[in-house]
Amino acid sequence: MTDTERTRRLPLARIGWAFLPIAVTAAVLAILPTVWFGDSPYTTSLAVQALVFASYGVGFNLIFGSTNQLFLCVGALAGVGGYGAGILANESTWPMAAGLAVGTASAAIVGGLLSWIAVRRSLGIIFTGIVTLVFSLGFANLLLGQRDLTGSETGLIVDGVPDDLADDSVGGYYLFAGLLVAFLIVFRLLQLSHVGWAFRALRDDEVAAELAGVNVSRYRIYAATLGSAMIGLTGALLAYSAGFISPATYSFDRVDVRVLVMVAFGGLGTLLGPVIGAGVFAVLDERLTASLELREVLYGVFVIAIFLFFRRGVVQAFVGLANRLLGRRTPLQLSRD
Amino acid sequence: MRAVVLDGIVLGLAFGLLGVGMTLVYGLGGVLNLAYGQIVVLAAIVISLLMEDGVATVQAAVVGVLAAAGVAVLLDLTLMRPVYREHGEERTLLGLLLTLGAAFVIGGLLAWRYPAGALYIFVGGDPISVIGVPMAVGSIWASGIALAVAAILLLFFGLTTFGRGVRSVIQDETGARLVGINPSFVRTVIFALSGALAGVVAIAQSMNGPLTVNAGFELTTFALIVTVVGGLGSVAGAFLAGVLLGVVNALSAHYIGQYITTIILLGAAALTILIRPRGLLGR
Repeated sequence: MTDTERTRRLPLARIGWAFLPIAVTAAVLAILPTVWFGDSPYTTSLAVQALVFASYGVGFNLIFGSTNQLFLCVGALAGVGGYGAGILANESTWPMAAGLAVGTASAAIVGGLLSWIAVRRSLGIIFTGIVTLVFSLGFANLLLGQRDLTGSETGLIVDGVPDDLADDSVGGYYLFAGLLVAFLIVFRLLQLSHVGWAFRALRDDEVAAELAGVNVSRYRIYAATLGSAMIGLTGALLAYSAGFISPATYSFDRVDVRVLVMVAFGGLGTLLGPVIGAGVFAVLDERLTASLELREVLYGVFVIAIFLFFRRGVVQAFVGLANRLLGRRTPLQLSRD
Repeated sequence: MRAVVLDGIVLGLAFGLLGVGMTLVYGLGGVLNLAYGQIVVLAAIVISLLMEDGVATVQAAVVGVLAAAGVAVLLDLTLMRPVYREHGEERTLLGLLLTLGAAFVIGGLLAWRYPAGALYIFVGGDPISVIGVPMAVGSIWASGIALAVAAILLLFFGLTTFGRGVRSVIQDETGARLVGINPSFVRTVIFALSGALAGVVAIAQSMNGPLTVNAGFELTTFALIVTVVGGLGSVAGAFLAGVLLGVVNALSAHYIGQYITTIILLGAAALTILIRPRGLLGR
């Protein structure tokens, strides 16, 4: 925190507290390989997958949780990043960093455009959802159709990847852990800045926020662009790290539904919601070796249960319960929104 | 060319039939039923199981339609109750998410229990010539069913008292309540009707070709596109949009290619939302 103005508004101690959850998360992520799975490539790849989904979740949370734009195209945005990077890696000799930059920028532009359209045509939450869903399906078809570039269903092998960053190695794990922690820091910084106030205002009451001088459209587009950039970067890194991508890697039913369930489980709009959701579902995935179809049923049950009984997230419900039992009023004001 | 357009109309009538069940429920309560395709699949599986056991096709079809209607009523009486307590966007969003969950539960259970489940109702007979184009008997049957359903629905909503009651709820829920209509009861009936329509979809689709257990999501997507393009809540709009999209689909699949066709259809839906969010015949 170098911004003196901000420090004046928020006492230093409070800022410290605000970053404590991130520090704890980082510490847990750092020691996890040594205490849990260090030598098993299978478990490592599960953990990497959880980190990837948590990173998607932070981006989605920024878009949907903070500014109420239902983007049903997380998979497609990640795919824009992933295929952008992958195709560049295969068709040119540019280094990995360039591929990541191109992938991230493409996803940010696409997400920003979608949001711009939604804002300009003042589409409600539902129509935003339908338009982005339509975009997801269209993108999936584009991947299948452009056989020469994308390899269609067969997938695309992404070259030029350092071995120690592979998605079943500890190096890959730390890569994605670092990415997640970086995203969390960005998310929290946004919350502490004037952008965070604008997000909260427009999420609580759009009209009131507009009347109070918050430029709702602009903040929506900001959130969508930044969130999409995060999702695109994650997708691009995944392409390099896994060394192989196919339409299934970024498909709607594999990515979007999971992200939605995880974020909703952890609590929409909260800092650690996506992390907790991804962690819980990773453990579930490891334990439940039942068939794919039954897992689908379970996801369905979770979606229904979460939105019927825990509209603010399961974690939030437990925190609320604990506070009521201890006779406290919610002290986690900062981490809640 | 004539054959392609005719194919498109056959496909379009199937699209229209698919969209009408979703559009009715949306018009009435603001719920986009994302489990719609899975209910179609459920009906198909019920019918195919009965037919395997030697039940006559017509009886099996009736039971399938009733089963789909039953599941729809079950959804309405359980999941939809909390949804209808909300209003406006909150209601639509909650409905969307809960029916998405239901879609996964129904689809997952069916795919788990009957992984190779599929329904194909074969209608025998030589192709019949329609304006000089030979058409499979199954396609003609499917189109006939769709047209009959369209006619019955339009008559029902235009002439009967209950049909008018439904339209009054679509127009204004509070107003309907004031003149003595019970919106909750109307919604349950329409949910049942929508389920029954899903059953009819299963029958009509399987006359054109096999309907497999994994078709649910795709069916929902097409129903959603038809609903959006036709105008949410409009029966005539759903069929008009269905036929338009069907013809576009057939033409572009014939002259351009299948992947591009799907993108064109999706683009049509997106464009409709952007240019005319009410849809072709929406209010």
